[in-house]
Order: sequence, then structure tokens, then C-alpha cells
Amino acid sequence: MKELKILAVLIIVVLIGYIGIEPYAKHVMHGTIPPPDFSYLDLPKFEPAGDPVKGKELFKANCASCHSLKADGIEAGMDKKTAELSFHVVPPDLSNIAAIVEPHFLANFIRDPQNATKNPKFAMPPMGYLTNDQIGDIIAYLKSKAKKELTGKEILQDACTRCHSVKYQKIQAITSKEHLKTYLGKIPPDLSLMGRAKEKEYLITFINNPQVLLPGTTMPRLGLTEEATEKVVMYLDKIADPHKEERKKIGMWVLIYMLIGVAITYAWKRKIWQKIH
Amino acid sequence: MKLIDWLDERLAVRQLIKVMMTEYYVPKNINFLWSFGVLIILTLTILIISGIFLLMYYKPDANLAFDSVNKTIMMDVSYGWIFRHVHAVGASIIFLLLYIHMARGIYYGSFKPPREIVWITGYVLFILMSATAFTGYLLPWGQMSYWAAQTITTLFEKIPFIGPDLVIWIRGHFIVEDPTLTRFFALHVVFLPLLLIIFTAIHLYAVRIVGSNNEDGVPIPKEEKKKKGIPFWPVFMAKEYFVMAVFLTFFFFLVFFHYEFAMDPINFTPANKLQTPPHIYPEWYFLAYYEVLRGFFFSQNLGLIAFVLSMFIAMFLPWLDKSPIVSGKHRPMFQVAFWIFILDFVFLTVLGKLPPTGLYAWLGLIGSIIFFAFFFSLPIISKIERKQIENGGNKK
Repeated sequence: MKELKILAVLIIVVLIGYIGIEPYAKHVMHGTIPPPDFSYLDLPKFEPAGDPVKGKELFKANCASCHSLKADGIEAGMDKKTAELSFHVVPPDLSNIAAIVEPHFLANFIRDPQNATKNPKFAMPPMGYLTNDQIGDIIAYLKSKAKKELTGKEILQDACTRCHSVKYQKIQAITSKEHLKTYLGKIPPDLSLMGRAKEKEYLITFINNPQVLLPGTTMPRLGLTEEATEKVVMYLDKIADPHKEERKKIGMWVLIYMLIGVAITYAWKRKIWQKIH
Repeated sequence: MKLIDWLDERLAVRQLIKVMMTEYYVPKNINFLWSFGVLIILTLTILIISGIFLLMYYKPDANLAFDSVNKTIMMDVSYGWIFRHVHAVGASIIFLLLYIHMARGIYYGSFKPPREIVWITGYVLFILMSATAFTGYLLPWGQMSYWAAQTITTLFEKIPFIGPDLVIWIRGHFIVEDPTLTRFFALHVVFLPLLLIIFTAIHLYAVRIVGSNNEDGVPIPKEEKKKKGIPFWPVFMAKEYFVMAVFLTFFFFLVFFHYEFAMDPINFTPANKLQTPPHIYPEWYFLAYYEVLRGFFFSQNLGLIAFVLSMFIAMFLPWLDKSPIVSGKHRPMFQVAFWIFILDFVFLTVLGKLPPTGLYAWLGLIGSIIFFAFFFSLPIISKIERKQIENGGNKK
């Protein structure tokens, strides 16, 4: 009985310390993470709708000098080197862009990329001369070509690897390091362990709107849909912690084994201590 | 039986077993807090074994260290992650055990004559363990590894005359760099563990000579040892195995399900000497001392002196607390001081992780002063108690 009291005191003191240095201190240091906003309603409302056939022509005329759309056999008008020299970043292939980016955001992005991404140095020039109908046609075309189901890895490759490497997955950033440094001021971090370095909520809000958590960062807002963001964060978590399932399974067996050990040692202790008074 | 006879003739193993185990008597009136010494040896063993396996894949090179830990060991090597989790959690939890072991020693007066050597060697072990933890923390070469080492080594700069040169000597470079990593590696895997083992041996030898203290602090006379004591083997160890099993259950729960406290997420970002993280803090077991360092926020020099004093003052307990009453169980005034000290230590630990601004800075100062007040109150409490006894007061 006395020993249980001592144990109780011990547990209370340790718990106070634990709560203080883990949940409480973390809360003070990092604050609460604001929830993501996938409506992007800070941008003017725009419900794109249009004709994919017209859209293809508009795409060829306005976008294809820099962007490819391999799903429809369209190659970009310039190669990687030329693009890097002009923009310091390689423009993405747009085959699946409509599947991962919110349409309302995409429309605003085409019109004014700097405002939509909240990055005044964003490389793509604004396409303000396109009418709303024309933008609607282009988005309708992009939608018609985009894959319906994308994996987390595919989304990452479409949305992130222009600038980010994922070394442990043998993924190299498409743009070369020197140009990224010119474009963004520094080489963006490798994403191999991002799933362990940051918590899930942080990553979701950060991808959703980088300026909220890291004011002044050169990472652009990408306008990903909720589903795409969650998939990409799940993928980041999986590659950063590949043994998660195994760990839980082995952990359960070890604990069961240890509990049997507790029972056996307790039985032995009782047997030996019977004679002690 | 033949083998034991053969060994007995050459090594006197029977006598050894008697002296060390079956006829080494431990007092009956001790509680499970006296089990923590063995738990520490158990955890140290776990650390050494898991460390040896980690050593097989770890690469002490600033360009390779991070990947060798986080890719090779954590992802590629079969069950490598278990070894790292065990090593990280073990390193953290051994300090919890050490603190409980030391607090038990302070409360029940286990540092008093004739156990001064037990206390001092124990304290040296704590300092060695701290050095081992500090050098080991740099090895994964993550952001917090790097900046914790950078911050703590900078402290030596304040030492008069030799400070700036000493810092460069410790780092092997003007900043924490590859040479720092390799020398910390050498200290962490060879020199410090060797000293730890030597001092553990001396510590245990000293305990065998003077015997364990007990709850009442009244030594058992030699003649009554058999009556009032229990043999170390099998009786004491029968209980010890049970405590070990409970501890290991808790330990493996942490290893598999709750390891974040020992593996800071920030350290999964590679060291970057151009980017200081917004918050730099040591592992939890150094937070109280770190807070004493920051507590005297108006003077860096004073903070540094306080920091060094706080790390070593407990070593001098046998000379600070000379009360004739050994166990805190029979010292009401000491009990009050002790519990204030324990709560203050937890308080400082929590503050150590919070940003040192505004109210927190002042609380840190108050906490630091209470920390020292405990040690300086001991001679006074002892004096009062001595007087009470001389006046025939509550003598026990």
C-alpha cells in the first residue's frame, strides 16, 4: 500500500513535468495551427465553364510556348534549359493540373499568378488579356485531359518536384539548384523526411497557404484541392515513416510478451517473499 | 557441479557469490525506490548494446551522418529503426531513472557518512552520463543537434582568458563542423562509456562496503544483518525482477508508441549552419539547468556561474547537510524544503522549454533562486535539528 502511494506521487510529478514540456510548451511555442481554407474565396469568384475544343486551340496559342501537355501529345515550345534561363524554373507539364488545383483558383491564377500564389516574384506572366470565357474554355480543356484518380506520389510530382527534391525516393527537383537559388533565394528543403519533421495539420495548412505559417516565404500558394493536399501529405508521411505499420504490430507483441513477464516475475516474487516478515 | 568446483578452485567463485549475492544483506525496510539502481544498470546495458548495433551503420561524417541515421538505419536496415528508437528512448529515460535515484538518495539521506563515496561516484556518473548524452545528441546531425551543440559550446567562451581559444579547441573549428562531429563521436562511443563503466564499478563496490541505506536511516548492526536484512539473491532480486518487468513494459510502450519526446521532430531536418531554428532548447533532462542559465537574464556572466554551480552543487550535499538525523522521514523541516525543491526542479524544467520572455523570464529567476535556496537552507536546517537533539527534543 505504502509503495503504491510512493508510485502515485512519482507518476504525478512525472506527469506534471511531461505535460509542461510536451503539450503545453509546444502550444506556447507554435500556437494553434489555423485551419486550411480550400475555397480560396479571397480571390474573385469565378466559376469556369466552357468548350474544351476551343480551349485546346487557346492552349496551343497562349500556353504551349512554355507548357507541355503530354496527355494530349503537346510538347512545350522551349526546352528545359531555355526555360530555366528565362524563368529560373522549369514550367510544369499541365496534363493533370486540373485534377489537383481548385478550378476557381486556377482561373484566378491564369489571370494573375502573382496575386493567386501570393508570391510577387512568381515566374509565370499574368494572362490578363484573356477573357473570362477564354479562361473557362482553357480550364474545360485541361479538365477533359486530366486523369481522374491520382496517387499521392503523382500529385507530389506534379505539384512539388519542380522545386523540391525527395532524395530518399530518388526524386530530383526538375529545376537545377543554381536556378532555384536565383528564383527563390535559397534551395527549397528536401521533402524526404518532411512527414516526420512537421505534423500533419501544419503541412496541410502550409501547403494550403504558406504565408499564414511562414510569412515572407517564397513558396507559392498552389491552390491544391482538399483531396490533393491530403493525399500528398499522406504520401509524405508514408515515405518519412515507412515502418509505421510494422512498428505498431511488433510493438503490440512486445507489450504482450512483457506483460507475461510481469505476471511471471510477480508470481516468483510472491513465492520468495512469502517467508519474509 | 563439476564445473563450479573447477572454477571455485581457481577463482573462489563460491566465496564471490556469497559476498556479492547470497550473503550480501539488504535492509528489509526499503521500498521500490531502492530498485532504481539496478534499473539504471539495465538501461545502461540496453544503451550499450543498441549503441553497438547502431555503430555498425552510423557514419561520423558531416556529409553522411544524417542520411546514415535517417535513411540507412531508420529505413533500409532490417529492424534498424527499433535500435534507434530503443537508443533514443533509453538515453532519455535513463535520466528519469537517475533523477529518481538521486532524489531518493537526497530524501532518505543516502549521501551521509559513511556513504559519501557512494554519493560522489554516483554524482560523477550523472555528470558523465550528461556528457555522453550531450555528445551523442550531436551525432544524428539534425537541426537541433547542431544548434544545441553550437549554443552550449559557445558558453565556454565566457571563461576568463582561455575562453575563446577553448571553444575552438573543443569544436576543432571556429563553428560546430565536421571535426566537432568526429571528436564528439570519439568521446561518445569510446571514452565516456569507458569512464561510465569504471565509475559504475567503483560505485557498486562502495555500496557493497557500506551497505544500502534504508527508509529510517538507522544502520543495521552486523550481528542483526540476517534477522533484519534480506539476502540480495534471491530475495531482493526476486522483487527487482518484477520491478524490471514493469519498467520494461513501460519502456517498450514508449519505444513503439510514444517516442516523440525523445526524438524531436525538428531533428528530422538536416543541420543547416545558415538557418537558426526559432526555438533552441536542449533535451528535457537538461532543461532545468538550462533555465538556471537563462534565469539570471540581466547578466550573462552571472547566469553562467549559476549554471555551473547548479550542475555541481548537489555533489557537495554530504558537507551541506550535516544533520545527525539521516532519513528525511524523520525530518519535518527538511521534508518541506525537499518537496519545494522537487516542485521547483519540475517548474524549471518546464520553463526551460518556454521562450525566455516577459513573465517567463521573471519566473525563471525566481525558480533559479529557489533551486539554490534549497541547498543553502540545508546547513541551517541541520543546525536547528542538531540543537533540538541537544535539547532532548524529538529524537528518533
